[in-house]
Amino acid sequence: MADGANIAETWDKASIESLFDPATGRLDRRVLSDEGLYRLELERIFARGWNFMCHESQLKDPGDYLVSYIGEDQVIVVRDEDGQINAMLNTCRHRGNALCRAEQGRAKSFVCSYHGWNYGLDGKLIGVPGRSTFYHNDLDRSQLGLAKARVESYLGFYFATLADEAPSLHDFLGTTGRTGLGMVCAHGEIEFVEGVQKNVIDCNWKIAVDNLFDWYHVPYSHASADAAGFFNISKIQHPKNQMVMLGEYGHAIGGPGIPQEMQDRIDPLSDAERAAMSSAAPEGSPRIRPQSATSLMGTAGVRSEGHPNIFPNLWITISGAQICLRLPRGPSRTELWWFTVVPKDAPARAKREMIRRMNHVFGPSGLLEQDDGENWSQSTRSARGVASRELGQHIQMGIGHDQVTVSDDGEHIIEGLISEHGQRWLYRAWTDWMVACDWAELEANHALPPTGVV
Amino acid sequence: MDALDRPRATTTPWAETSLPQRAVLQYEVEQFLYAEAALLDARRYRDWLGLVADDIEYWMPIRRTVTTGDLDREFTKPGEVAFFDDDRAYLEMRVKKLEAGSAWSEDPPSRSRHFVSNVRILEVAGEEITLEACFHLYRTRLETDVDSWIGRRIDVLRRDGDSFRLSRRHLFLDHTVIQATNMSTIF
Repeated sequence: MADGANIAETWDKASIESLFDPATGRLDRRVLSDEGLYRLELERIFARGWNFMCHESQLKDPGDYLVSYIGEDQVIVVRDEDGQINAMLNTCRHRGNALCRAEQGRAKSFVCSYHGWNYGLDGKLIGVPGRSTFYHNDLDRSQLGLAKARVESYLGFYFATLADEAPSLHDFLGTTGRTGLGMVCAHGEIEFVEGVQKNVIDCNWKIAVDNLFDWYHVPYSHASADAAGFFNISKIQHPKNQMVMLGEYGHAIGGPGIPQEMQDRIDPLSDAERAAMSSAAPEGSPRIRPQSATSLMGTAGVRSEGHPNIFPNLWITISGAQICLRLPRGPSRTELWWFTVVPKDAPARAKREMIRRMNHVFGPSGLLEQDDGENWSQSTRSARGVASRELGQHIQMGIGHDQVTVSDDGEHIIEGLISEHGQRWLYRAWTDWMVACDWAELEANHALPPTGVV
Repeated sequence: MDALDRPRATTTPWAETSLPQRAVLQYEVEQFLYAEAALLDARRYRDWLGLVADDIEYWMPIRRTVTTGDLDREFTKPGEVAFFDDDRAYLEMRVKKLEAGSAWSEDPPSRSRHFVSNVRILEVAGEEITLEACFHLYRTRLETDVDSWIGRRIDVLRRDGDSFRLSRRHLFLDHTVIQATNMSTIF
């Protein structure tokens, strides 16, 4: 990975650490625009971390595949004959051509359209035209399989990393990451709906991530969706009942939280009583989670109605009903992929209504998300101006006014008003990932969730 | 959508009508489509809603890059994820949003041009006319944003006095990953 080594000469530890000051919340805007930092991110964050690939329901049968990304590395994600899900770089070992040029499909094997090299669903090189003639039988096929990423799953969500020395997915996610995925499954088994809304925004990927923790922008950015009657901000935002959860390696959750006093009234209720309460609640209120949710989400996490982010780029939203990947496409460009989730056992009619509603929230034509993209692209644009970028991003809200409490399950949470603790944690963790030369260094030196006053 | 994909067999009553009858209907339909496009380009969204039937089905599925063998999965199907999945109530919301004074993705407003071409009437059944057309929605925003969406669409128009009302619009884009910050306008 010589690229990173070269960049590291320009961006050494001290210069990266100078970019963000957690004590004041000042972020150097070059973080949103610098090409060298971006290339370092591809190596030190995306190739190193666990990247979301798919949910098991997207690849039902052997041969089902889709193409996804680890940073800018294209990956084939496929279910093989043994039912196992593999992730392999989508590049032929001969001349580098892409094996899959479709986004998704079903295959018996992957045949290169350039010279016909043929790989199995497990990535093994099966066939090479002219192996005994042109290659004189001296080609060692065992060394020329597709490059495989490590794949592990949690609750049916498959992740991949290009770092052999990465900790297990379970440990990488930690309590906060597992709470985030647990939120999606809190009401029972789920499935992904066919179709992914994909679009490109001219913004740095981190400003999109920063925004998911941001409940401050909602009444202003999304005022027109409220005025149109699509949603009622006052019923969703709960600016005084916010809960932020900070986890290792940059995972975090930010947004409304159910106050403990209210949860204390929910806890003794049976699932039937909770379901009855949910159906009596005003439209748009989140459904009360069943008793089993606590084991998936933790004692504090179960009170969250906020937005988890699995570091770096997987956002879980609306109580887990939609999931968004923010794929880096250069310092000033991000591709967004929106997945939609429904309860597996819901009646067809109910599913249809849920999907129709979700088709209107996010994605490029979504009544909410229409108004986000331009904020992000204009913020990214200003990070390129030599004078504008000197001003820095202002991420100060709440500093010194909040207290971290640690739950019985070891969750670090901050409750109170709307704040920017989640965003500061994002850039704090980003710094840790960017200065560490390898996983050993990252594991040894990354920030642990804070305690006390923050 | 499958049945509407192909022109109807020549034995349908529509095909048996005389050339002058067909030419007149073609003219009426095209003039309606141009007038509708002009309303959208002029940002007269409320007036545009006036041309929309109460039972409108306004739908844009997601297109995927698939191999020839998987072409039946090229577009998502009704009830799956879509870019537009609107009934009249949702379209009214979109218009209300544009009128709210806080729809930042359209303020400053985009400049748009709706082109409609290759209009072919596929079927006339009572008051309803099913047509296929190609569309090109060209939009510019702010200083440098230029977006172009091109595709094929199936419209159903229903006679309403001297004019028509739009009761179905299915939009099949020639794009997979949308190369635009948003689709904050009406197609």
